[in-house]
Amino acid sequence: MTASSPGGLRTSATGAEPEPGMAPSGAVGLERSVARLLQFGTYLSIGLLLIGALLMIANGIGPRSGGPAFDLGRLVGDLGAGRPAGFLWLGLLVVIATPAARVAVSGVGYVRRGEREMAVVAGLILIVIATSVLLARGLQG
Amino acid sequence: MPGGPLVDGLLLLVSGIGAGVFGSLLGLGGGILIVPLLTLGFGLPLLESVGVSLICVIVNSGAASGVYLERRTANLRLGMTLELFTAIGAMAGGLIAFLLDARVIEFIFTGLLVYVAFTMARRREPAPSTPGPSMGSPGSMDHVETAADPSSEPGGVGRLQPLLDRMSGPDYRIRRFGFGIVGSLIAGVASAVLGIGGGLVKVPVMHVVMGVPLRVATATSNLMIGITASASAIIYLLRGGIDPYVTAPTAIGVFIGASIGSRVAPRIDLRLLRTLFVVILLYTAWQMLQRAIA
Repeated sequence: MTASSPGGLRTSATGAEPEPGMAPSGAVGLERSVARLLQFGTYLSIGLLLIGALLMIANGIGPRSGGPAFDLGRLVGDLGAGRPAGFLWLGLLVVIATPAARVAVSGVGYVRRGEREMAVVAGLILIVIATSVLLARGLQG
Repeated sequence: MPGGPLVDGLLLLVSGIGAGVFGSLLGLGGGILIVPLLTLGFGLPLLESVGVSLICVIVNSGAASGVYLERRTANLRLGMTLELFTAIGAMAGGLIAFLLDARVIEFIFTGLLVYVAFTMARRREPAPSTPGPSMGSPGSMDHVETAADPSSEPGGVGRLQPLLDRMSGPDYRIRRFGFGIVGSLIAGVASAVLGIGGGLVKVPVMHVVMGVPLRVATATSNLMIGITASASAIIYLLRGGIDPYVTAPTAIGVFIGASIGSRVAPRIDLRLLRTLFVVILLYTAWQMLQRAIA
């Protein structure tokens, strides 16, 4: 196995111990999965923001109208009623959540491949993100 | 810059496209342009502009880093390990930003604009044979010695050596990891307070200090921006620092602009564009300084 990538590992002839600079089987697959997730998340969020923006125009709402505050409890209702705020907030949530989803998918991939250190790193990043949410909510209250 | 709802929306869209094109052509996330555009051009409060900018840089990062990963230019292991520290810095920065006086942030942003203008003016053109995406960062150098014995470097970490080996690429070895941690923390704070991607810090640290090739450093930095900006964007979102009505047209514009920029890049005279960009940055810095003083 000679395929390698930046940060990739190279599997030794026996396949047991990876060597520095060489990619193990699955490394390419993980990077491809993560790449597709990032692209899907980006296009989905832009699509939702575009729907929200078109609904703004249709309802005569301008950017200077002062957007509604974020309220998770109203999200489903706004979406069901076709209000622009619902699509805009959902699009923004997808934007913010996509990188975290990328870390989660990477973490699962590393667990499956037995790369404990990288799986721990992924877990720690998600803990930092969760702490951000908790701190912001605490300050909000 | 007053106008009707549709005119305002179109102006934000066009501004976003401009920021996206410039950012893409010159290797910037776009945040350095979006914040002054919204504060000086549209009269938005600074914190709200930073919140909108953070969303825009996440969108930009998601689109670009997906491509970089597929091309296997970005180093996922290195990016994830360093972004743990950019995320911690961004979380702290997101909290600090709401405590700082807007004038302080405006002064810091003015300094940042002047710094980027001067590094951009001094920057050399890359050699024609340079492969891969040309998203270099101001302040970075084009040539460094990338192969080095990590164990002999200050900042090399003995027990982490197996991890560093795994983060290294086929033609380079990661060294001075401690400096990478410090640089990542600083980049995270800067991103959260100023609404930028933080590549201005991360790319030079990875390339010059840690021995990562420039195009890998740039692509990896781009990948890291997503988590860095989202850690602080969450705080801005929950504290009312993001207006969805302003963000939507701007983010769509940046997305379109970045797509256009990556397609027209080979046909653009980058020297002329860079000169124009330096003039715009210095003019913007002057406007921002006046706003901070006033």
